[in-house]
Amino acid sequence: MKNVSRIIPCYSADTSGVCSALYELGGMTVTHDASGCNSTYATHDEPRWYDMQSDIYISALTEMDAIMGDDEKLIFDVVSAARDRAPAFIAVCGSPMPMMTGVDFDAVAAEIEARSGIRTFGMHTNGTRSYIEGASEAFLDIVREFVTDCPKGGLGVRSPLNHEMSQTLQRPSPISDNIGVNILGMTPLDFPWRGTMDSMKRFVAESGFEYVSCLAMGSSLDEIRRAASARVNLVVSFSGFAAAKYMKERFGIPYVCGVPFGKKYAERVKCYLNWAAEDKECDTVNERGGEPCDIVIIGESIGAVSLASALWHENGTHARVICPLPTDREILADYDLTLSAEEDIERALHDLAPKTVIADPLYRYIVPRGTRLIELPHFAFSGRCFERDMKDLIYCDIPF
Amino acid sequence: MIKIALYGKGGIGKSTCTANLAAAFASLGKRVIQIGCDPKADSTINLLGGKPLQPVMDYLREHEDDPERIEDISRIGFGGILCIETGGPTPGLGCAGRGIITTFNLLEQLELFERYKPDVVLYDVLGDVVCGGFAAPIREGYAEQVLIVTSGEKMALYAANNINSAVKNFEDRSYAKVRGVIMNRRNVENEEEKVRAFAEKTGLEITADIPRSDDIIRFEDMGKTVIEGDPECETSKRFFALARKLIEEDK
Repeated sequence: MKNVSRIIPCYSADTSGVCSALYELGGMTVTHDASGCNSTYATHDEPRWYDMQSDIYISALTEMDAIMGDDEKLIFDVVSAARDRAPAFIAVCGSPMPMMTGVDFDAVAAEIEARSGIRTFGMHTNGTRSYIEGASEAFLDIVREFVTDCPKGGLGVRSPLNHEMSQTLQRPSPISDNIGVNILGMTPLDFPWRGTMDSMKRFVAESGFEYVSCLAMGSSLDEIRRAASARVNLVVSFSGFAAAKYMKERFGIPYVCGVPFGKKYAERVKCYLNWAAEDKECDTVNERGGEPCDIVIIGESIGAVSLASALWHENGTHARVICPLPTDREILADYDLTLSAEEDIERALHDLAPKTVIADPLYRYIVPRGTRLIELPHFAFSGRCFERDMKDLIYCDIPF
Repeated sequence: MIKIALYGKGGIGKSTCTANLAAAFASLGKRVIQIGCDPKADSTINLLGGKPLQPVMDYLREHEDDPERIEDISRIGFGGILCIETGGPTPGLGCAGRGIITTFNLLEQLELFERYKPDVVLYDVLGDVVCGGFAAPIREGYAEQVLIVTSGEKMALYAANNINSAVKNFEDRSYAKVRGVIMNRRNVENEEEKVRAFAEKTGLEITADIPRSDDIIRFEDMGKTVIEGDPECETSKRFFALARKLIEEDK
């Protein structure tokens, strides 16, 4: 049966994506679900839970609530909690049971907002889609609601690129100083919570940019409110792609997709950011040697493409991406694959017969015998099982 | 865009009224979509020459992937009307209301309204507003008005009252409002007085008065609406009058 995983787990669900995306922004996230399910969203899928407080609630939906369609109880409880907590916003998420009974979260959110006076988002989650879709919707809502137009940062000072690269690529001379940058799509579901933002801020600062905000790890809502002052957005996972497109359309801020893994590829990301800030064109930093590929990387699209490109820049190896999560084909190379079903991924690995697979350790069980597996734990896939082994590859030497 | 959901007691003539109203709109030059929201999936049959249409739920049952085109789950009927049936689960199993929501999500995904650009959308909804799924057609973005079909029969009026109350429950939400009542006559004793009494009590207008007519049955046996079979007959005139009234109000 398609889309049934017999061996590997599924990725974190959309509800976890919402909770993770909004965790640090001072809002209140309520999932309409049975009591006990909160541990999934707030602890199993959330490494910050023990160190950082966040208002994440569960509605404690009962069988009778579901049968009777008692939306009023949910609305009353949320409004009541919001009066106590005074959050900056409220997000109400669905889960499988409300999906089956057809709860109208847009209408519920409108009623909560009318009674509480607090901006409320009805999230279209149902627990059956991936964290990417939930985080993506949450980020888009935050940007639409809280980011307003404001003057851009300094115009910057032109500085030379690496000579060899500027000759090869024939692009305009870049600006490298004082260009404001937002990081979009950053959550602990894709990146190690500890250390990542330090690495990212170091990359931003040492590349001559000005850090404006991060959606949404290590950034406050107030920082995000000023996001339109940036001159370019760096999209580090597909969770931030919809928000980036919106900001391009609404504020004219171009975006670059790529995670500055390694040193040489990070330099390329820097170049693309400079170019984007100057010519307003959006792009993905996807620079690889093409086929044939000895390596297959399985993972989230922008992270996996970035790693494949980083490997090519660092040591000339060719890697193909298998993306099991929602993405946009434009982010990938022609020879990359989008496969979500376990049986399809297993068959592709068998047919492609790569020498090496780079993926979460739990993919080991469908990697062909004799194929080397480089373990790259992905929190959205294996949760806390391998959290200690998660690697921060941003702006540092790649260990493989 | 005119977006109307028709509700009423089972067997009261909702599908007949919806299909004839759709045919009237189409004959007046409007681009029309009719969506049958009933597991029986027979709402549009008389717009399609008596040939049933494969419901969306059946398509999803038979295919692993969602349809990629509107054409995969629809057919064009009389007057160019785009016909869609949600269908539903095997009787006695599953959740029919959820089937309606799934179909609506799918139509949204396929950008039905953006691509087809209809002037009129009619939702023919099974029986009563019995659960969240059957309220889906009156949610924001779907129908803006509700027409309740009733005769003078006691149970039909009872159901009409329930439907009106159910829609009123959503007053705080941006849902559809009840536009009025279609009196679909069954020739019961004092029928008009009974329906008028209900309308006055609930503050609703009798928006159309459809006479009991053998023409309806005769043309339905031929797989047609009355509008298609005999656009000049009295029943057709009533449907045309209703369509014109709704068009006028939409201007």
